[in-house]
Amino acid sequence: MSTNIQSVSTPRSGEGTWLWLLKIVTGILLVVLLFIHLLVNHFLSQHGLMTYADVVAYYQNPIIPVMEVCLLAAVVFHSLTGLRGIILDLKPAFTFLKVVDAILVTIGLVAVVYGIWLVSVIASRG
Amino acid sequence: MDTQNNKPSAGKFWTWFNPVGRDAGGWAFILNRITALGLTFYLFLHLVILGQLAKGPQGYDSFIKLMSSPFWIAGELLVVAAAFLHGLNGIRIILTTFGVSVTRQKQLFYGLMVIALIAILIFGFHMFSA
Repeated sequence: MSTNIQSVSTPRSGEGTWLWLLKIVTGILLVVLLFIHLLVNHFLSQHGLMTYADVVAYYQNPIIPVMEVCLLAAVVFHSLTGLRGIILDLKPAFTFLKVVDAILVTIGLVAVVYGIWLVSVIASRG
Repeated sequence: MDTQNNKPSAGKFWTWFNPVGRDAGGWAFILNRITALGLTFYLFLHLVILGQLAKGPQGYDSFIKLMSSPFWIAGELLVVAAAFLHGLNGIRIILTTFGVSVTRQKQLFYGLMVIALIAILIFGFHMFSA
């Protein structure tokens, strides 16, 4: 433990191998999708999507709504499992963790459903 | 000291962010955790604010105008910086998880942070030159 930088990522106690693995998989996905997201929003046609009309026009390409929903699902999953990991580091009681889990799942589902709704609204405004 | 600061423990939340006596691994940890919390906060703020798009051009365009002051652009650059720092540090974590470059993590970390710094500077110059 003295050479912390040599250690590698492993599931925390209470994290579960699947959550840990999916956090890594979504992490890889995010490196790609978030990079595209940042480039488009800041560099497309010089200074990115600066107006409502720019955003609607961008969403007319059918790949874009699908890509943005994938980005949203990945980033919401990654951030909420990450938050759960931080809470696990505080050594919560089991019953408290179950409440946290229920809240995080609810937040995640609401965020993704809301995102799909918003993306469909924007795409249909063309 | 590092490993003590980073150890999971109830009620030791603030020691995670104590900058005293950290090596490269300790700084990687602190940087990843701060940017994680910042980006999570921004993500949900971002989702709520983008709801303006549903209200049509008036709501959204006036909001964007409001956000074009140097103060808010600096705030936005902070988000971009957090994304690059977290994402590139994440590449180190992914590589080492699969056994790549485990014994050269320090060099990998410094190299990735230099790339992050260059990316942040490019975005910064571009965002403030509008």
